[in-house]
Amino acid sequence: MVELNVNGHTVSVHSQPDAPLLWVIRDELGLTGTKFGCGVGMCGACTVHVEGRATRSCITPVGAVSGAKITTIEGLDPEGRHPLQTAWLELQVPQCGYCQSGMIMQAATLLKDYPNPTDQDINAAMAGSLCRCMTYVRIRRAIKLAAARMRGGTAHA
Amino acid sequence: MPSLSLHGLRSNYDPSRRSFLIAMFEVGAILGFARSSFGSIAFPTAETYPPSSTGELFEPTIWYGIDRKGTVTVNIIRAEMGQHVGTALARIVAEELDADWSKVKIEMVDTDPKWPVMMTGASWSVWQSFPVLSRAGAAGRIALIEEGAKLLGVGPPSCTARNGAVLADGRSIQYGDIVARGNLRRLYTPEQLQKMPIKAPGERRLIGRNTLALDLPSKVNGEGRYGLDSAVDGMIYARPKIPPTRYDSRVVAIDDSAAKRVPGYIQSLALDDPSGTAPGWVMVYAKNFTAASRAADLVKVTWKSGEAANVSEQDLQKRAAELIADPKGGSLFVDDPGVDAAFASAKHKIERTYITSTVMHFALEPINALAFEKNGVFEIHTGNQWQTLALPVLAKALGRSQDKIVMRTYLLGGGFGRRLDFDYAVPMALAAKAVGQPVKTVCTRADDMRFDCPRSTSRQVLRMAWGEGGQITAMEHHAAAGWPTAVIAPSFMMKTANGEGALYDPFSIQGADHWYTVGAQRVRALCNDLAQRTFRPGWLRSVGSGWVNWAVESFMDEAALEAGADPVTFRLRLLNGAGRNAGSAPNSVGGAHRQAAVLTRLAEKVGSGSTMPKDVGLGIASTFGQERGMPTWIACAARVRVDRHNGHVFVEKLTLVVDAGTIIQPDGAESQVEGAALWGLSMALHEGSEFVKGQPKDTNLDTYTPLRMGDVPEIEVEFLQSSEAPVGLGEPATTAIAPAIGNAIFAATGARVRDLPIRPESILHALAQSA
Amino acid sequence: MIRRIIMAIVAAAVVALVSLFILSWRPAIAQIKQPNALNFSAESIAHGEVLAAEGHCASCHTRPGGQPFAGGYGLSTPFGIIYGTNITPDPNTGIGRWSLTAFTRAMREGVARDGSHLYPAFPYYAYTKLTDTDIGALYAYVMTRTAVNATVPANTVPFPLNLRFFEEGWKILFFRRGGYSADTSKSQEWNRGAYLAEALSDCTGCHTPRNPLGAEETKRAYAGALVEGWIAPALTQANPSPLPWTQEELFSYLRTGVSPLHGATDATMTQVIRGALALPIVPDSDVQAIALYFRDMERPGAAPSNTEAIATEALASSKLGSEQEYDPDANLYAAACMSCHYNAGPVPLNPRPELALISDLRLYEPTNFIQVVLRGVSTTDGAQGLMMPAYASSLTDSEVARLAAYLRRTRTNLPPWGDVEDKVAAIRRQLPKPK
Repeated sequence: MVELNVNGHTVSVHSQPDAPLLWVIRDELGLTGTKFGCGVGMCGACTVHVEGRATRSCITPVGAVSGAKITTIEGLDPEGRHPLQTAWLELQVPQCGYCQSGMIMQAATLLKDYPNPTDQDINAAMAGSLCRCMTYVRIRRAIKLAAARMRGGTAHA
Repeated sequence: MPSLSLHGLRSNYDPSRRSFLIAMFEVGAILGFARSSFGSIAFPTAETYPPSSTGELFEPTIWYGIDRKGTVTVNIIRAEMGQHVGTALARIVAEELDADWSKVKIEMVDTDPKWPVMMTGASWSVWQSFPVLSRAGAAGRIALIEEGAKLLGVGPPSCTARNGAVLADGRSIQYGDIVARGNLRRLYTPEQLQKMPIKAPGERRLIGRNTLALDLPSKVNGEGRYGLDSAVDGMIYARPKIPPTRYDSRVVAIDDSAAKRVPGYIQSLALDDPSGTAPGWVMVYAKNFTAASRAADLVKVTWKSGEAANVSEQDLQKRAAELIADPKGGSLFVDDPGVDAAFASAKHKIERTYITSTVMHFALEPINALAFEKNGVFEIHTGNQWQTLALPVLAKALGRSQDKIVMRTYLLGGGFGRRLDFDYAVPMALAAKAVGQPVKTVCTRADDMRFDCPRSTSRQVLRMAWGEGGQITAMEHHAAAGWPTAVIAPSFMMKTANGEGALYDPFSIQGADHWYTVGAQRVRALCNDLAQRTFRPGWLRSVGSGWVNWAVESFMDEAALEAGADPVTFRLRLLNGAGRNAGSAPNSVGGAHRQAAVLTRLAEKVGSGSTMPKDVGLGIASTFGQERGMPTWIACAARVRVDRHNGHVFVEKLTLVVDAGTIIQPDGAESQVEGAALWGLSMALHEGSEFVKGQPKDTNLDTYTPLRMGDVPEIEVEFLQSSEAPVGLGEPATTAIAPAIGNAIFAATGARVRDLPIRPESILHALAQSA
Repeated sequence: MIRRIIMAIVAAAVVALVSLFILSWRPAIAQIKQPNALNFSAESIAHGEVLAAEGHCASCHTRPGGQPFAGGYGLSTPFGIIYGTNITPDPNTGIGRWSLTAFTRAMREGVARDGSHLYPAFPYYAYTKLTDTDIGALYAYVMTRTAVNATVPANTVPFPLNLRFFEEGWKILFFRRGGYSADTSKSQEWNRGAYLAEALSDCTGCHTPRNPLGAEETKRAYAGALVEGWIAPALTQANPSPLPWTQEELFSYLRTGVSPLHGATDATMTQVIRGALALPIVPDSDVQAIALYFRDMERPGAAPSNTEAIATEALASSKLGSEQEYDPDANLYAAACMSCHYNAGPVPLNPRPELALISDLRLYEPTNFIQVVLRGVSTTDGAQGLMMPAYASSLTDSEVARLAAYLRRTRTNLPPWGDVEDKVAAIRRQLPKPK
């Protein structure tokens, strides 16, 4: 039994400690917002926050995060209105949408580190996040929009 | 608030409740389809579809219903894979219905015999549905006005419909109230429907204006449900062992002794597939996916495979070359008389060969399905683009009738043509049948790539002949590739114009029937039989037009060079709209002139002929999107910089000008063009696999490198305003990118590359050759 | 003739052995009654607590999950597994019957109460330098712990190496008894740091290479060594860090486990930082002293003036591969690593370990780099709460090797490592097997 703190709730899971966190979140806890894309930590679809930092859950054994604070897309904002999420909607970023949970979680860490990111910062920090529909133009725009709002203290449109 | 729902319950029909039904009609009649087998969407007639409604819901057509609160639920038979198709189609209905958009919902329906063909692809959805849905909406509006007028005590001519209500001199009645209180019983004949007037473009209030796509909110908060998210109580998991070759591998032995150590492992079974879709699969079952995945790694399967296990990319190209070199064989897609004579007497002529490599779909959601039997009905839960094609094959595989099978609809984590094939759904359904309990089969990325239906490698030879006075007198185009349609949807194979020769795959040659006036044209489509035997060629975003235009638009530049003309001028001269290139109503009104228009506008924007810095070049390409029957006019300019030392290409900017007729959702249209253009870029420079021992060599992102954030150049898209018929946008922009880049590389350095993807080695080689 | 020579050699060996046996003899010290806890002053016990932490007694004398100081932790040595003894005041299985004299002799000379020699796995060669007061304080602390009745497993040192009298030979060769002498040319803080490092924390125990008999090569003190599969880097001027370790940065590293300009702790060093030197027991002043001592060792004299330029140049490499890249190694790095390891200038951020500055890419072997990539970094290693996933299941040996070569080439000016793929395979074989 491994005890986790997920989106503010303490839960005990029955999965083996070496089961990937991704599948524990999806199948045992039923939080399917986090997705499976490659299984080797190179597409970013599985990105969650561990202690507030973007981490690839498909290659993180659940035992390694026992006791750590885990945040999934469902828990990023209590109302689903994190500035990134509202910017994503305003600019109609998603196409198929499958990568976007991971994309948003990765962008959240990017903005934590670089509140006023340059294009280079975005290129590098988002390099591991693949969007097969190639919505990158709008992702970039939405990151900058959310960043400006977060800097200006106006979280919502 | 508009919303999206999946697995909507079909309402129960109560014949006693009065209602009206619009009689359904043949799309073929409405659209003037020349080829009746081609995407025929037959709607049920009044006889086959019982008119009714419950007290709750009023359904004038199968396409939408209105409840007593005035909520309009539009039924979407298309797959949602990022093109926001539901919103576009609902806008079409809501426009003519004059609905209150804030009360519009969409329902992505499951399969049911009452739906016409459920197929999403080929950039067809809006184009096919627009005529049908707009008239359905209009008919509903008229019926509501008639009934509303009665309830208001006035004559219908005094009424208008606006925003979900019927209005008459200061008074109004909401649609919901009409449904609750009215007595609707209007019937329409097919002829009346066909003549149903729809709004003039100037009257539109919704179409052409942006709105938040209805599928979006669920895509930013983790609520969207994809096939991978499906679940049912009591389900177990499975992961397949994919055989070494697609068709000719037979299971000889299964050794699961090592897998038994894995906690949660259940068993491994070889699947028996009566439909022959996925031979050689072994399913590894476990209580959770981690166990299934690990166990599958430990299960040792011995297969006996045929010759396909030795085939390489070089073998496939060699066979393609053989087929092209043999003047017999193939199908004549275009066959004007006088081609041979023109070449024989040509003043000068050129011939070039173009190659494209195997390309993988790599939709981000790997193939998966949940399958189980419930109440005598076999349910398959999966994202799929062509349910209608899948159902008969599933019936054969499962040994039951189609009406006892339902495919439940989910969002697709990427389609791109992969999910047009049913091939993965068959063994995943059989996996459940074999154990008699719900089974969720999930493929790892490596499984998904090994079981992909990749875009076949292609080889094309193009020739052009000039006669007197520098006139082009003839053009030939021979194209050899694996043919997806022959394998996956044989009923879509086409007869040649003169009825001779083999049937051909239209999705493997379109683009060669271009709109340039080049004298006598011959286009020969050849099926690479080695490809057909080795793997399952698939339709991949932009299909034939993608790789055919790599050849056509590179060749047009090479021909321009030969003729001593600038590439834009050269093309514009040939886009004179002569003869068949004049275009025709309703879909290709303007023909070549519209292609010329986008090209002209592009040239204006990028200023051809301006001097570029060293090793920087501007290249253009222009295509008509997917097919002559529904052309989307595209012109693209690429500005690139080439590093002569290492052959690296830096794409600085892509500029596109698009004429797609009427645009339903401008924002969605722009995102589709951006996405399709970047697909084109990814395939031009960053993607390409190769067959090694019967399998594509790439199995994950460690070696397969689709475009990432940092690879995106500056990109500018302009739509020409048009009120012509809407055409497709999911794919067309893909077709012009690679040749624009190839042409730009030539402009920058004088090096001509003819292989896709364009690799640094090719550029260095071409640079050396041109020196 | 040959027979005579053989006879002579055998005779000499017998004489040597007998002499060694005689020389090795130590008397037993009489047992005492288990001391009363009230005998020891609170001050002495508290002082002993700090020393016991800094001397990382628990790292060998406490089994993971076991009772404090009750022994049972198996230390892998080239000579077999040596189990830490029970040093709780239990009279039967612990050292409850040891007098201060016996305790002192063990600490100073490596001889147990009963006269048997202790393996130099117990770093008495360091503790020998402790002052009497400090040894007294340690005694006070140890004797006031909870007594635990626990026997430890037998050591697996093979015959004849498990004959304890052989330790005398080792001591004759390698051990010098004695206290710590201050260096009067250095500050009080430096001497405090030196004392703690040399007499108590035994930093040299990991950071100095050892000869085949397991003794430290004193002429190469702090030149770096391989410890439990990881390289403990050189702490001398041979340290490969491109930026000098300032006292502040060393303090940050030793206190928190991370110094943004140098990297984060992993493996055995984590136990030192999170255990031996940790708050709340060990005061800042002691850690500062150790930091000063080693800063001086790594770079005596003033810090170079071009540190900013070095940092800027290092960070310039951080974005390589993020845009329209054709090098497959760069693409692999971008897909798998860059998102977390990218740093915009001018300084790296704490949660973004800067590969161009940390030691892994600059050591003489790729060992540490390979270990980190295959195992990941847990939330308790390195910066607290920060983790790196393990890539063992997602990268092949060849891919890890390519990343190593790529980063070595683009982040350093050092010559390429050799045989990297083989080394990855070897380290992978040592990873704990899944259950």
